[in-house]
Formats: sequence, C-alpha cells, structure tokens
Amino acid sequence: MNRCAPPLRAVLFSAFALIVTGLGAWLLLGRGGSPIQTDLLAMLPATERHPLAEAAVERLAHANGDRMVLLVEHADDATAKDAARELGKRLAADPAFASVTAELPPFDLDALFAPYLAHRFHLLTDADREALLHPDYDPTQALARRLNQPFLAGVGIALQDDPFGWLQHWMEQQPWSRSPLTPEDNLLTAHRDDHSYVMVLAALRGSSYDDSVQRAALAALARAEQAVIVQHPGVRLLRAGAVFHAAEARAGAERDVHVVGLASSLGIAVLLLWTYRSPRPLLLAFLSTAIGVACAVTVTLLIFGQLYLLTLVFGAALLGEAVDYSIQYLCARANAGPAWQAERGVRQVRPALLLALATSLLGYALLGLMPFPALRQMACFAMVGMLAACLSVFCLLPALLAKPASKPLAPSLVRFALALQRRAGRLGRGRSGMLAALLLLLVALPGWLRLGHDDDIHLLITSPAELAQQEARIRDVTGIGNSSQFYLVHGDSAEQVLQREEALEVRLQTLVQQGQLEGWTGVAGMLPSMQRQQANQAALAPLFANRANIEALLLRAGLRTDVASAYLDAWRGQPLGLSEWLAMPVSTPFRYLWMDQGKAGIGSIVLPQGQDDAGILRAAAAGLPGVALVDKPASISALFGRYREYASVWLLAALALVSAVFGWRYRHAAPRVIAAPLLGIGLTLAVLGYLGQPLTLFHWMALMLVLGVGANYAVFLHEGEPHAAHLPGATYAGVLLSAVTALLSFGLLALSSMPALQHFGITLLLGIGFTALLVPVASPVREYVAV
Amino acid sequence: MRRLIAALLCWLALGVHAQAQDPALLQHILDELGSHASVRAAFTQSRENPALTQPQVSRGQLLFVVGHGMLWQVTEPYRESLALTGVRTARIDEHGQLQTVRGSDRGVAQVSQMLQSMLSGNPEDALRQFEVEAHGTATRWTLRFTPRQERMARVLRRIELDGDRYLQGIQVELANGESTHISFADTRDAGPLSALEQRALGIAP
Repeated sequence: MNRCAPPLRAVLFSAFALIVTGLGAWLLLGRGGSPIQTDLLAMLPATERHPLAEAAVERLAHANGDRMVLLVEHADDATAKDAARELGKRLAADPAFASVTAELPPFDLDALFAPYLAHRFHLLTDADREALLHPDYDPTQALARRLNQPFLAGVGIALQDDPFGWLQHWMEQQPWSRSPLTPEDNLLTAHRDDHSYVMVLAALRGSSYDDSVQRAALAALARAEQAVIVQHPGVRLLRAGAVFHAAEARAGAERDVHVVGLASSLGIAVLLLWTYRSPRPLLLAFLSTAIGVACAVTVTLLIFGQLYLLTLVFGAALLGEAVDYSIQYLCARANAGPAWQAERGVRQVRPALLLALATSLLGYALLGLMPFPALRQMACFAMVGMLAACLSVFCLLPALLAKPASKPLAPSLVRFALALQRRAGRLGRGRSGMLAALLLLLVALPGWLRLGHDDDIHLLITSPAELAQQEARIRDVTGIGNSSQFYLVHGDSAEQVLQREEALEVRLQTLVQQGQLEGWTGVAGMLPSMQRQQANQAALAPLFANRANIEALLLRAGLRTDVASAYLDAWRGQPLGLSEWLAMPVSTPFRYLWMDQGKAGIGSIVLPQGQDDAGILRAAAAGLPGVALVDKPASISALFGRYREYASVWLLAALALVSAVFGWRYRHAAPRVIAAPLLGIGLTLAVLGYLGQPLTLFHWMALMLVLGVGANYAVFLHEGEPHAAHLPGATYAGVLLSAVTALLSFGLLALSSMPALQHFGITLLLGIGFTALLVPVASPVREYVAV
Repeated sequence: MRRLIAALLCWLALGVHAQAQDPALLQHILDELGSHASVRAAFTQSRENPALTQPQVSRGQLLFVVGHGMLWQVTEPYRESLALTGVRTARIDEHGQLQTVRGSDRGVAQVSQMLQSMLSGNPEDALRQFEVEAHGTATRWTLRFTPRQERMARVLRRIELDGDRYLQGIQVELANGESTHISFADTRDAGPLSALEQRALGIAP
C-alpha cells in the first residue's frame, strides 16, 4: 500500500471498484431472471437426518407449490358457479398459466374403475375382513343386506360385479371418495354454511419463486378477479398457494429495503451535512459505503449464486456500519484544520480502523460459522462489505481529500459531545464509578431474571393473517392444504414400506376412534401390501372353496344364473401391484406420496388430517420401525434453539477474544476499554427482559454486532483522543456520529415486517445506544487532556 | 361412484320455485312436510335390478326426526338398524351399541340427507341438480326430480316422491335399470322417542 503513490493507488482502486461493480450489476441484472431468492424455506438449513425426509419435504412443498388453489364463494349457488366458470375462462386465456382447471373434462367413471375388477378378491376393508374372519359370519345375510340397502344398490360398482359389496366398501374408503369436493355442474363444488364454494386450479408456467412467473400470474389473477367481481357482485375469492406467500415475502422485503435503506440514507445524509457543513464529505462517505455494498453483492453472488431477501434487508442496514470508517477519516480531517495532510491522516486513523475492522470481521466470522445458509450469506456479505469500505478509506479517500477541510466539525455537536463526555467521565471515576456500576447492576438484575426465550419458526416466516385465514378456510372446505407435518415411512422394498405403513394405520385408526384425528391419506390405503392382499384373499377363500355352495347361495338370494357364474368365474383374480397402481389414472393425484429414491431407499408419505399437535402424532408412531414423524417447523424451531444456545456461548468467546486483543494493545487500560461494550450488552439484555421480549437467535446475533460496533467505538475514542487533544470533545463527537448513523440504519430494522429483523433492530438500537453513551465513562476526557 | 350419484342426489335444491309447474302446490307440499317435526311409518321397500331374477323386498320401521336424521330399522328378511345422520351411517348392534360403519354406503347416508332436507320443508340444501315438477292436488301429489346434467343422468334417471299430508312413497330409478320403490304405511307423528332412538340420532335427552 505504501509503495505506490497515493494518486496511482486511487486510480487502481477506482478501476477495481468499477470492475467489481460492473460484474455485480451483470450478475444481478444481466443474466435474465432475478437472483433474488424469495423462497423463505430455501434459507433454512437441512434439518432432517434421513435424506428421504428432506426429499419428502421438498416434494410436498412443490406438489402444492407451483399452482394456485382458488375457491369462488357466494351464497347463491348459480352465481358462484357462473363466477368460477368465468374466472376459469379468463385465467385459461392468459399466457401466465400453463393450465387451468375449472370445468371438468368429460370422463367415464366406469372406465376409471374398471381396472379394479381384476383385483376385487384382493381388496377388502378392515371391517369386511374382520367380519369375514368372524366365526358367526353369515354370507346369506351379508348378501341380503347389500341387495336391500335403503334407497339404492346399483350405483358405483355394479351389483353383478360385486354382489356382496366388498369392492364397493373398499372404493368408498379411497381418498377421492372422501373429498368434500364433488363434481356438480361439471365443477368441483362444496357447500358449507349456506354458501357454495367452487374450486379453480391454476398451474403456473414456472416456479412460484420465479419473479417473472410470479408477477405475471398475480397480475392475471387480479385482472380476472376484478372482471368477475364486476359481473358477479358479492363473489369472494379465497386463495392458497406458495406463489402468494412468495409475493408477500417479496413485497415485505422490498418495503423493508426501501424504508430502511431510504430512511437511513436520508438520515445519514442530513446528519453528515450538518456535522461537516459541506456536501463533499457526505458524497465521499456514501461513495465509500457504496463501494462496500457493491463488492459485497458481487462476492456474495459469486459464492452463493443468489441473494436471500434477508441478506438484502440486512445489507441495507449494514450501510450504517460501513460508513463509520469514512466518518473517522473525515473527522480526523476536520479536526486537523489547515495542517491537514491526507497521507498523515491515513497513518493517524489506520491503527484504529484496522483494529475496528479486525473486531468486526471477527464478529461476522463467528456468525458465518453457523450452519445456516442465510446467516452464512449475511456474514459473507458483511465481511466483504466492511473490508471494501475500509480499503476505500485507505486507498481512495486520501486522493480525493488532499485539501484541508474548510470548516471544522459543527461546534454545537462538539460542545454537546464534550459536555456528555465530561459528565459521563466524572461518573466513571473512582468511588462514584463503582457506585454507579453497582446501581446499574441492581437495576439490570430484575430485567435479566425476566428473560425468557422463543425459538418459533414464525420469527423467520410470517404469513399475513388474511392469507393464512383464507388457506385455513380452503383446507376446511376442500381438505386440500399444505401439510408441514407428515409421517415418512421408509424401508428396503416397496412391500416393506407398505407393511410398515399398514402398521402405522392401525395406530392412526385408534386416534380416529379417540376423536384425536380426522383421517389420513397414504399409499397403503390405496395399494395394500401383498401380505395384506393375501390375507384378504385368505379371508374370502373358505367362502369360495366350494363353488356349488356359493353358487346356490347367490341364486337363492335372487341373482340370475349367468350373473352368478360370471362372478364366480372371476374368483381369485390378480393382486394389485405397485406398477399397476402407479399406471392407474385415479392414482395421479396421489403419486407424489410414493418415493422411490434409489439408493436413498423407498419411502412413502402419510398425511394426517385434523391434528396439529405434533406430540400426539409423534406418540402414535412411537416404536414403529421405519416410521418417523417429520415436522419441519418443529425441526427448525429446535435448530433455532440450539443455535441460540451456541450463540450465547459464542458471544462469550468473542468477548474473550476481543478482551485478549485489547489486553495486548492497551495493557492495564484494557478493562476500561472493554467495559463499555460489556455494559452495553448487559443493559440491553436487562431492557429486553423488562420489555418482556423473549430472546431469540436473532437477539443474540444482534448482540454480537453490538459487541463488534461497541468495541469499535471504544477503540475510536481511545485511539483518536490523543490526536485531537487540542479539540476536547471532537473525538467523541466522531464516535457519536458513528453511533447515530448506525442507529439510523440498524435501528430502523425495528420497523421491519419480519419478526427476526425486528428483534435484530431493537437489540442493536438498545445496544449501540447504551454503548455509545457508556464509552466516555470508560475513557474519561481528562486523562487525555492531561497527556 | 355410489357416492357420486348419492352426492348428486343430495345436491337437490335451488330451482324449486323456478321449475315447478305449480309453485303454489310445491310450496304447500313443502310446508305440509315441514310441519311434522318427527314422523314414524312402516315401510316396504321393493327393488328390481337387471342382475336379479326376482324383486328384493324388505320391511321395517322408519323414524324421521327433522334436523337429526332417520332410523331405518329392517325387520324382514333380516334384522338391522341403521342410524342415518348427516353423512354418517351407524349400525346399532343387538346390544343397542352404535357402530360407525366405515367405508360403507356413504351414498345411502347422502340420500337420507337429501330426503331429510326435503322432508323438513327446507329444499335449499337439496334439489340443486334437478328439474322439479309438482303434479296433482294438495291431498294427492307427486314430485318428480329429473337430473339436469348429463353426467348425473348417465347414472340416475329420476326420483319421484308422492304423498298426501305425509310422504307416502319414494321411487328411485337408475339408468342401469334398477328400480327401487318404497311405500309408507301407518304414517303418524312420532310422539316421544325412546332413549335408544335419541342416542342413535344424537339428540340430547
């Protein structure tokens, strides 16, 4: 750095910054499709130990992911249906959608169900199998019951194909029979509380998280909805689908970036303009920050390929810390007055800036150690950004600030800083200092005792209440909905998986009988294991053992001779195999429940319905081999909890590291220098306790930043004071300036719509505020004035 | 698929006012039917089906309670009691215990639901899918329900209800040639229900 002349260095650095910015712009905008990741789930780490479980989570997310489920609601049935047809037509005409299902295509039920006839002697309901195995089973009476059932007998599977009704019973249990939606006027309709609900499904032309797909689909839906509502007043549209969440998340983050980014930029601009009383320092401070952010975006995109929303919002807030380096340099220039020499200025601030940079990098590096993609990315973003901003102060700013400052720092700020520093300094000395510290401890103690913690996943993923309500309603009316809790059944072979699923079904059936579960959907209900199918056949075998007997029985009941013999000719038939089931059109909507992942194993997903308590669901699977409840939200929450604990330990470790660095540089003064950030963290925790905010992982992350930033302030004040001995208060004024800019940017995160960022912001607001006020207590003004 | 047709049956409703040839007659019938909160009758059900050489005949007692459901008690040719409430079908065993019938004849339950809504004078929930024609006089009437849609018409040809002050007969004709006729006799207001009846229909004592 020292070997080449300052102007050359500045030119080289400018060229470097331009190239990086250009590369970043191309990565961000030039490749078609936005590299901004709106899928909030993508930020979450893999939590499941079993590879099949992660695959299942992803599969479920996408089974429901790339489509919209819309319900058209109206009190009047005909209006609801007309509106749904209209909506379907309008959406289908729009290129934003790959396919739209409103009116059902013609289909022949007989043709759909015909393939089952070959397997009818292998498929029995549990009730029928148990009845058949009962010693008192009376086939004559069973037949009479079926033939004489009230109102109708000959719909569904025809009487001649299934005189005892066994296949009919089995079909009634299939998931498509249990759906509350029924084809009516060629539309899938449900009726609830005197209202009609008609379903319209719209498949997107791409991923829900693809920016262009998302925008086109939402715009098309808004247009269609508008038109339909005009034509059919009173129609309400309920919606569900990942695309709505993705859009909300994007809108929320964009709002956050705008509010935080804009407000903090404006605030910092006004502040700097007032302090330096000249626009030039302001522009240079922003230039340095902008270089930092541009480098951060570029490197992050190069390493990760995409930017998470969280990183973007965090990045907007990071402006406030990156600007500190230039503020320190600009303060040195303002304080030097006419004697200013750019290079000497660099040498003067370099130790402080390097020490500050080192503590920041240390803090973020610790953050980056967490195996959490989003946190790693934020850490990478921050480290690159801070490094680039700091380098720009060494390389670029001296060339642009060769001339001395025309005006010193705003005198009112310096006077205010000096007054504050004196007062705080007096408090911090001798016995009164001990007393004050003791008092603070006493005040803080009850706050600490009130601290709790919270690891809920909703810190990170929040859905607007309105959307969540609509989805709950859709789940209620149609039975269709995302399920984040499910059973994963896995095994070495398809047969083993199905047998294990059947063992699970027994447990689930018990829950249903206890009223703790409404039902479940799984493959074994549609495709019994071979073992089960053989048991079914075995239960029927005694009845069919003597053909003459059963034929006589059928004829006595009134069946025609040819019907009876055709039925008996079909006896035995074939078991239903996996490939046959997968090939059946009726299995299409359920195929995603079956997972054949080659080496990772074979598995199936069982979706429980009507029970959200994971404890009950987990207990139901206890002790069953190859069956596990996968509860993604709970896994994430557990992970949050673990990292919250780690984070608290890490904070202690970071504190020890910083103390060691300070001890090496400041010797006996080190305890005083470290006191301010330490007290800042302690008081912040106390206030959070008083506020009743349970601590989350994000509070701890923010406390790490508080430590980093607080250590910076202590260093700036401690290192800077000797150089500004002729201007009492000026150094602290610079620190205060840094603190206020940091508060403006980080503190505004407290306004974020995402609870995680809110917690982050509040903690930083408190922590940086306390630390900035406490710094002079530890480094009283007079010591240095006397030096 | 039984469920499909039965579901279709239960969608009745709508259009009653629009399609009836004699709106006043239809309204009168509905009012009259709805005026009996609970009704008992003896029934005889006779079913013909192309797969059968002779009609199947069963007899028993029906208890109908508005808003709760019906109790279908067969005494001949076998004994069985079914409680049809909402979409749930329960069998009452010889010890008087209710057993929910899983996977069996949800269609039957849905027809019963449709009838419940008709018989309680509340056709809005029923008759959505049918053309309704009312014939006859207030003392001797017939309601004929024909599916409006081809999808349903492929399974169900028509349903006819006939009656006077009470419902006297139900005729269900399917497209496959099955024909079920239920006739009621000795129809009367039910009077107090037994404890078992109350329990079976989910009525708080």
